[in-house]
Amino acid sequence: MAERSQPSANYRSWPVITALTIVSLPLLLMYIYLFLDTVTVKQPDALLPSGLTINHWRFLWQTTAGKANIWHVTLNTLLFSACTTSLVLIVSSMAGYVLSRLNVPARGFFLAGVMVLHAFPSVTLIIAIFIVLQMIGLYNSLIGVILVKAAIDLPLGIWMMKGFYDTVPWEIEMAGVVDGASRFRVWRSLVLPQVKPGIMALGLFSFLAGWGEFILPQVLAPGNQVQVLSVYLAGFLADDNNYDFNMFKAVGLFYLIPVLIAYALFNKYLMNIYGGGSKG
Amino acid sequence: MKSSRTLGLVMIAPASVMIVLFFLMPVVLTAVFSMTNMTTATGISGGVYQIAPNSLIALKSALPEIATEMAEPRYTIDEAGLKAVEGLGLAPGIAAELRAKHAGEVFPARRDVERMIKDLAERPSTREVKQISEQFNRSVLNTRFDSKEQLFSALDDLGFKLTPEQKETVAKITYTGWTWTTDNFSRMASSPDMARVLFNTVLYVALVLTLFNVGYALLLAIWTHYMPPTPASIFRGIWLLPRITPVVIYVLLWKWLAWDSGFISILMGKFGYPPKNYLLDTAYNAWFFVVLINGFIGASMGMLVFSSAMKAIPKSQFYASEVDGASRWQQIRYIILPQMRWPILFVTCYQTLSLLASFNEILLATNGGPGNATEVWALAAYHTALRNYAGNLEYGLGAAMALVLVVIGVMLSLVYLRVFNYGTLVAKPLIED
Repeated sequence: MAERSQPSANYRSWPVITALTIVSLPLLLMYIYLFLDTVTVKQPDALLPSGLTINHWRFLWQTTAGKANIWHVTLNTLLFSACTTSLVLIVSSMAGYVLSRLNVPARGFFLAGVMVLHAFPSVTLIIAIFIVLQMIGLYNSLIGVILVKAAIDLPLGIWMMKGFYDTVPWEIEMAGVVDGASRFRVWRSLVLPQVKPGIMALGLFSFLAGWGEFILPQVLAPGNQVQVLSVYLAGFLADDNNYDFNMFKAVGLFYLIPVLIAYALFNKYLMNIYGGGSKG
Repeated sequence: MKSSRTLGLVMIAPASVMIVLFFLMPVVLTAVFSMTNMTTATGISGGVYQIAPNSLIALKSALPEIATEMAEPRYTIDEAGLKAVEGLGLAPGIAAELRAKHAGEVFPARRDVERMIKDLAERPSTREVKQISEQFNRSVLNTRFDSKEQLFSALDDLGFKLTPEQKETVAKITYTGWTWTTDNFSRMASSPDMARVLFNTVLYVALVLTLFNVGYALLLAIWTHYMPPTPASIFRGIWLLPRITPVVIYVLLWKWLAWDSGFISILMGKFGYPPKNYLLDTAYNAWFFVVLINGFIGASMGMLVFSSAMKAIPKSQFYASEVDGASRWQQIRYIILPQMRWPILFVTCYQTLSLLASFNEILLATNGGPGNATEVWALAAYHTALRNYAGNLEYGLGAAMALVLVVIGVMLSLVYLRVFNYGTLVAKPLIED
């Protein structure tokens, strides 16, 4: 980026930076106060804090009556997003390779289908999924939500992995085939290492998507035993009886920290996806 | 070699199975459910036949006479009743005579059966007549029948003389399970509430799309394009935060900003304004925040797409224009914008679909309120089918509403496939073994 057309003398960047700071102010305020409010005491009508406290984090060592234990909920969330991620990674790295490189019948049709699904209002299917899970008895179980969430993430995953496979030079595979390796062997030991960035990106994306998912667990697994953090926090928000913004924020920050860490470490991989799929 | 084809089929099988089971099947089932009147009241499995007070009301408009007859108790001289009479400890002749002379007879009213009992040889007292007649009281009201046949035979036994068509009508009205119907679609077409929701949806998509997903995203991309790299990446990072933040926390932050105990209220309090819930106090405010909340998330994707497209513009064009003395505005107008045509089209298409289907943020922020001022189509479907204040979840109607979105989604994405020239995306494999 450094070598990009730098503004010459007649272009000044400070007016733009000022303007951008002003429009970014609501966001900055929200995130700064998210952190501040969880560790400080503030009078009800004050804008600035008056002292430090860790009282807002008490949910970590006490369980509110009628609510699930936070560590249990965190474990559920971790389990949910980790399972979804592995499922999406395994299934779409196989399917993406097939669509990119292997000659299967109806390949074009499948690819078009995946693309249509990718742009699909998947969350509207939740009604049918709810009825089906009730019929087959997977309602209020983590397995049901994991399968559904993974299926909803799959089209993007397949499409992305296909894009990454497309950039791997054919010569690698041809060399492998000439040396007598099977196509499966070629995929496993030659091609897969080439698309590591893609796997990283997709894995991170699925993990964050699973970690933040709200509506699926809310509808399909609302019970205390299988609750995830988003549903737990939404339960706090909807509960008017013990209303404590600062504690909500502490729970929120607790929930957000893994996301921020993952983002700080791997944001260059994530850009590939948030930029609208990979360059295929 | 056939091995590559077999391998391909094996490797794609898990994806196909999952997509079919948890993606395509729900679509098909949404279509199926949308043709039913499934609700919590009917349940999702089959029902029973029951002549309950409310089905009598429905029956009254279809078959008034039969409904009146059914509302009255009937008196049938059957074996169970005769046994009961024997158990009453009255004169034994009564039961014997009833069995011999009247077994199988049906009396439509209490008066008739009691007249018959009074005429018996034993001449029971008035009190005994009442006792005896009670034993034969057979009402169809509130009895559950598991099948149509059971219902019909009960009706026959009680002496209702019904034609087969009338029986079918009775069966249809007294069925407690769900049935096939197209009512959902006519309800959608005629309800003024739905028209309101449709209007909201169009307004929501149009506002967020033009103001933020495309407009503001373009502005952000251009601004950061002309910035030194460090502040540029800082600002991009800030504007990506809403997208990576789990939706529940993100909306919590907005509530903290806009609620009556929130930041804006406290800030305005310093200037003497009483605190109020800026998020929900008027429909205009609610809309303002709904658009902001969704726009702040949506802006990031456009920003990234546009930024990377701008990065791809050859630098020489900028240098050349600067040598020619072009102002920054002229660079934007004549170099950047013309080359943004495809990215803008792509973002518009993609985000239209995302916005049509998105309702998490609105659900958490305003829940469609105040009133139903910010109720959009996807949220209305969710409310109808899964979170209804009236308590009766209308699965069928909700599925029909979801189906509308599905149809729009499929149609739009087929159009986009055309626009973005799908054919070039599928190149033939080079190793044709």
